Amino acid sequence: MAALAHPTERLVLRLLTWADGLCNRLYTQRFNPLYQSGTIVVALYLALVVTGLWLTLFYRIGTPWESVASLTASPWTGNWVRGLHRYASDLAVIATAVHMLRMFAEGRSWGARALAWVTGGLLLLLLMICGWTGYVMVWDTFGEHLAREGARMLDALPVLSEPTSRAFTGEQPLPTAFFFLNLFAHIGIPLAMGVVFWLHVRRLARPLLLPPRPVMWLVIGALTATAVVWPLAMAPQADPLVLPLQVPADLFFAFWIPFTQDLSGGSALLLATALGLALLAVPGFTARRGAEAAAPSVVDEDICVGCVQCSLDCPYGAITMFERTSRRSDLVARVDSALCVSCGICAGSCSPMGVGPPGRTGRDQMDAVREFISAPQRRAGETVVICCDHGAGACASDVAAAGGVPYPVGCAGNLHTSVIEILLRGGAGGVLVLACPPRDCWSREGPRWLAQRVYHARAAELQPRVSRTRVRIAHASAGDRAHVVETVRAFAADAAALGPPDVGDTLDVGVECEAAPPRGEP
Amino acid sequence: MTRLDRALGAALAVAAMAGLVWASSAPMTAHGSPDALLRLAWSARPERIETCRQQSDEELARLPQHMRQAVVCEGTTAAYRLEVRYNGAIIGERVVRGGGLRQDRRLYVFEEFSLPAGEAVIAVRFERLDSGTPAVAAIENHPEATRPEREANQQQRGEAVPPRSSIEQRLRFSTRKVVLVTYDPERRALVAVQDAPRAAR
Repeated sequence: MAALAHPTERLVLRLLTWADGLCNRLYTQRFNPLYQSGTIVVALYLALVVTGLWLTLFYRIGTPWESVASLTASPWTGNWVRGLHRYASDLAVIATAVHMLRMFAEGRSWGARALAWVTGGLLLLLLMICGWTGYVMVWDTFGEHLAREGARMLDALPVLSEPTSRAFTGEQPLPTAFFFLNLFAHIGIPLAMGVVFWLHVRRLARPLLLPPRPVMWLVIGALTATAVVWPLAMAPQADPLVLPLQVPADLFFAFWIPFTQDLSGGSALLLATALGLALLAVPGFTARRGAEAAAPSVVDEDICVGCVQCSLDCPYGAITMFERTSRRSDLVARVDSALCVSCGICAGSCSPMGVGPPGRTGRDQMDAVREFISAPQRRAGETVVICCDHGAGACASDVAAAGGVPYPVGCAGNLHTSVIEILLRGGAGGVLVLACPPRDCWSREGPRWLAQRVYHARAAELQPRVSRTRVRIAHASAGDRAHVVETVRAFAADAAALGPPDVGDTLDVGVECEAAPPRGEP
Repeated sequence: MTRLDRALGAALAVAAMAGLVWASSAPMTAHGSPDALLRLAWSARPERIETCRQQSDEELARLPQHMRQAVVCEGTTAAYRLEVRYNGAIIGERVVRGGGLRQDRRLYVFEEFSLPAGEAVIAVRFERLDSGTPAVAAIENHPEATRPEREANQQQRGEAVPPRSSIEQRLRFSTRKVVLVTYDPERRALVAVQDAPRAAR
């Protein structure tokens, strides 16, 4: 994987690692909401659509504030639904921000992922606009304040013959058409978000759209309980001839107002545009270039047996099978370098070790592990802990202190199962793979495929001759130091109880990895 | 996960939800100043100033039949000078022209002045600057103007802002309240408003 080149990325990553560690401790990895930020936004979107449709039934564009006030006064059918709608939109902003920060910190914002980043930025913008129109719909003091600030910025554009702000002067009542347009935008924008979301996940194979059900219902349930326990109150109706000292503002959607209300409309618009463009241009700033950029995977067509496993496992749909005329196979894998993010998952999925990023193919991994086991300090019966660089790799000293021998790898999902076998044949008492938590894999599906290769005979599987009692897969993030120590100790004790390992010959790649001989040969 | 972790996790979740609720309707200062506001806002059609002349028979003959008009007018819209006085002192002054690139659309006035609370005499003058003949007069006075042309111009005169409008009034300015001075097209005069129309239309 590419090195982290930007200090800002490192800083945000450090912060996220700490937060992940805390949430893993308090909620377990499975229920850590920070790992589910992207999918939580989708679940909240669905909740917003459902509650929004219900609220629309009661909204009147001729009497906006009065209709919302009447709805809010109804505890059974209105208030809690409105509360859920509002809090879900607030949480969607937070979850989107966490998701973006994670992608940024993990260096997943550039190259083939730039499309996802840019569309994610657009989704955030649409979410904000949708929220603004939602508040303007109510036409309370906050809605009016938001509308005035927005109109002030819009008026800086030299395209309108009359400033939009004039609509809110009190000279005339606001036309019903204004609220109709606002409602139209509030309903239409989520539809546009659906299209942009399709683009957002377009380059992903098997995109995970929703969080695990327990997490989803916990989040929705917590928001519903919040809406019931803290019922929403109505702010006073907007009056264009009254300047309220304070308005009850939703900071998730109006956090920018304190910074812009003292600026001229033009300056505020310029600032907002500059920040928006900077956000969309992040892939340009974070892109690794030259030697820093990890090279895309390559296929050795002389080795490829056309088994299609790499194209099935690739999390980004970057590998396609093509027909060929060859003594070896009818199909051959080819990598689309424009889509490949060099995650290296294909290296672990290829039995004959014919694909992977340069320097990280199965064969390269075999060379590295042989060097590791032949080191003079190796002792028979040691517990080798394979640590993913993005997770437990940061806890190498804790692993050593807990009695394990750390063996760092770029990504546990890249791991060819032969590496595990070689370690055991080389005298290791047990091999513990500390992969990242499944929903926080930088390569998306690494832990999932690894577990299937080790325990469920997915192609490129760990050979049946390898004792599973000496192999274990666990998950840890860089912030899970205590968990790492505990896991390593427990596994080392279990492995020690199995007695001394059977030390055998190391694997011969030439023999083991030639999955199928060329056709026509015995 | 220990029992303490579970309790801490629940406490953190409740705190997060409480934080969400607070931030969802946090008090935000919208208008920190205790001043009142004088707002001038109106939109009206500016008078059109035209020079009309009768086309000669030769000129008419050169034109296709459907384009032959006895009287042709060229012109622009009037500009107005807006002057605002607070207890006699000028606090605002500008020239207002019609909207649009050719300045031939409706003009609008939108000015705001922050003023201390209390009573004050406000004088607003809105006077035409250009000295040309207004279109309505130019056409009405023209001997060759047709009846429909005269009627159309009379209607326009009714819609256009008068050449001179003003209001001078002692007004009470309350803290964080707006006094609106606007143009009433029915009375064709500037008026001061202190209660907003509420219903949407």
